[in-house]
Amino acid sequence: MTIRVDRRTVLAGLAGAAALPAFAQDPGSVTIYTSNNQQAVQAITDEARTKLSGLKLNFITGGSGQLLRRMEAEAARPQADIFWSSSANTLGAFKGLYEPYASPQLSAIAPALRDPANLWTASNLHVVVQMVNTNQLAGQPAPRTWTDLFNPAFKGKIIIADPANSSTAYTILWGVRQMLGADGLKKLAANTIVTSAAATVLRAVAQGEYAIGLTFESNAYAYVAGGQREIALVYPSDGTFTSPEFLVLAKNAPNAAGAKRAFDHIISKEVQTALLEAAFRRPSRTDIDVAKIVKLPNMADIKLFAINEDEAAAKRTEFLAEWAAAVAATR
Amino acid sequence: MTLSRQIGSVWFWLTASLLALLSLFLLYPLAHMLASSFAGGGGRGGSGWGIFLSDPKYLTALGNTVLLGLSVTLGAALIGVPLAYFAARYSFPGKTLIAVLPLTTLVVPEVIAAQTWLMMFGNNGLITRSLGDVGVSIPSFYGWFGLTAVMTFIYYTYVYIGTLAAIRGFDVQLEEAAQGLGTSPNTARWKVLVPVVMPAVLASCLLVFTLVVGNFAVATILGGRVALLSVITYQAFVSEMGSDPLMQSTLASVSIGLVAAVLFLQRWIVSRGRYEITMGRGAKPQRLKGVSALLLALAASIVVIISLLPLFTVIAGAFTRARGPVMRWGEWTTLNMERAFLNAPDPIINTLIFAGSATLISVVVSTVASYLIVKKRTVLTPALDYIASLPLALSGTVLGIGLVMSFNTGWLTLTGTAMIIVIAYVIRRLPFGVRNASSTLYNVPNSIEEASISLGVPPVQSFFKVVLPIMVPSIAAAAILVWTTTVSELSASIVVYSGGKETMPIQIFRLIDSNLMAQASAYGLVLVVTILLPIIIATTIFKIDVFASR
Repeated sequence: MTIRVDRRTVLAGLAGAAALPAFAQDPGSVTIYTSNNQQAVQAITDEARTKLSGLKLNFITGGSGQLLRRMEAEAARPQADIFWSSSANTLGAFKGLYEPYASPQLSAIAPALRDPANLWTASNLHVVVQMVNTNQLAGQPAPRTWTDLFNPAFKGKIIIADPANSSTAYTILWGVRQMLGADGLKKLAANTIVTSAAATVLRAVAQGEYAIGLTFESNAYAYVAGGQREIALVYPSDGTFTSPEFLVLAKNAPNAAGAKRAFDHIISKEVQTALLEAAFRRPSRTDIDVAKIVKLPNMADIKLFAINEDEAAAKRTEFLAEWAAAVAATR
Repeated sequence: MTLSRQIGSVWFWLTASLLALLSLFLLYPLAHMLASSFAGGGGRGGSGWGIFLSDPKYLTALGNTVLLGLSVTLGAALIGVPLAYFAARYSFPGKTLIAVLPLTTLVVPEVIAAQTWLMMFGNNGLITRSLGDVGVSIPSFYGWFGLTAVMTFIYYTYVYIGTLAAIRGFDVQLEEAAQGLGTSPNTARWKVLVPVVMPAVLASCLLVFTLVVGNFAVATILGGRVALLSVITYQAFVSEMGSDPLMQSTLASVSIGLVAAVLFLQRWIVSRGRYEITMGRGAKPQRLKGVSALLLALAASIVVIISLLPLFTVIAGAFTRARGPVMRWGEWTTLNMERAFLNAPDPIINTLIFAGSATLISVVVSTVASYLIVKKRTVLTPALDYIASLPLALSGTVLGIGLVMSFNTGWLTLTGTAMIIVIAYVIRRLPFGVRNASSTLYNVPNSIEEASISLGVPPVQSFFKVVLPIMVPSIAAAAILVWTTTVSELSASIVVYSGGKETMPIQIFRLIDSNLMAQASAYGLVLVVTILLPIIIATTIFKIDVFASR
């Protein structure tokens, strides 16, 4: 008799909780899993408010590997419509999760920046830079090349993310290893502090905790554009590395039609321009003049060192071990 | 009681149904996840343990984690216990403020806290530079110094709250009786107060230890070259190719084992001496005057102010103009707040609904569970007891992944709903509620309830009429603890949430990860208010004296 009172309370609580917030999936919305930062996301949503009427973009944020594994776990009942973004070496391991899509926008995208089978298409291109806080150089001239970073005066003043977690750091260190060999990698490791999160590199250099951060141009330039005069971007004159950010349509997307609209939207000229203006993402389209819109050099004026993405992906375990050994040797 | 009589009792079935719920939402996901991760390990069998034992990196991380856990717990107890004692037993100038303010430290996102401390003590920090100017160099804040300092000042609050509730519930007549029998006041306090309050202190110390073991935010920002279990587990998990599920599950098991061992130790200490006391009158705060009052108030305010530094940063940051990631300190604006409320209010609304539902469920479940565990022991009780404390040993990430994997398809599909967030909240905070409610229950003598039953009131009604009213203060404290920690919960919800259902901590995490401190601070400020409002309403309108503010 009396037990009912108690059970009812429990059940009422559970039922109340179930009824209140369990709104159904909205058909007018597209879910995008993204490893991008909020500047980039806000650039897309701000444009979408006027350009994508009737379609709401919902973003789930996380590391690219983490999100792709989540998509794998949800494969029986997909939640994501779009994944944005990762480099080809990470995407290649999860090919079963994507739907090939030939966007009408494709003709404007450089052929090198899309998959021949249309599994992925680049939204933009990252360029590696040295982010320098000129107040913290302690009288040393700013570095101009990768080998300048081996200067003993920079010991403990250079920061990079852990390549095991950060594809940014992986791209940079793999590039340095290809350009300057095993010895070069060891010399860099001797001067460098490793942090586990990529966002820390930017904060640390901006705050003056470290003098030099190894990162992508887009994220570092935000501090220059924000008015922090002591921050400078160095494009190493011995060559730097690039990494495209690829966009992917999810297989069995819950809102496939909406997903294609959102996909076209993200690689449209308007949004790529907005991404460049607000988040300093260098467009993958060939019809946008970067130097006219922001104070970033055109690609033609940057010396590049080509890296083989497939090899970088294939030798991942081996290379991470080499880097870990190089770091361990300096302690 | 014989087994057949137990099976006939209401309490047995209540225990059984709670166990069934916990098995579904806690044990099943856990088993599912561990099984899948082993299956994904390529049939390498138990070699994860082999790698763990052979690679010094892992053992060093384990050693560091234990050492950090112990030093932070000790530091938190050294600050939290005296502060609670003075807040409960003395009144001094400014006490009302000092008693309530530590709670606000619970709500400042740990990432913001770590950033603020770096602004003071980092390589380029204000204090580091001004000390450097006069020739004093302090040790690098990255590593042991920073980890211990920041975590101590974040986590002492848990010891403070736990101890405060226990001291307030202590019957001062016992102490007076001891003095009446000729014991000196100090000895009386030591011999009578300490044993009764000790379970609560140990329970909150245990909580701090587990929080340190599970902490990722501070560990990753300030860890420097100190390898810690939480960071390498997360790295094994996030490692982009997802090729290492074996080490991830091994490392997760290590941290589960570590916390389980400490839990066991704490239980053993509590079980050695169980004291029941009648809820009599609490001690009347002693008014302090003159120099000692000033000194006490000063010492307490220094502690509180240090721990509040991150809060000041949040408030200033919320109203500071920003251009991208660059903060224009000194240029004020309401733009960040407007953006939070007008352009993107979803995180605020979601947080209120999800955390509100979870707190409601939590309070009911943990009140019933703690009563069953402490007062109505059956053959099933030990199982309920251990399973209810199991979430302590799980990091939010582990729990979240387990829930997503288990309720993605099938008869109970929860992914994509808000329900799964609420469930993750309830499960994660269950030990908080149970621990808080049961530490008071140990002090409720069985004789009161037995008297009620022998006078003809049925057992369940006796619970409602006799035990529940005594439990109200600790239930209220548990509710507030669950609310504050749920509203700011991140690591499980960030795994299980779906598009459009982001909460404030998730949005803050995203913004900080994008280095947009100003926008993050705006949500941070709303979060602080969200947490403080119920506390203020509880203490002023309903006159619930939760935090001994008088």
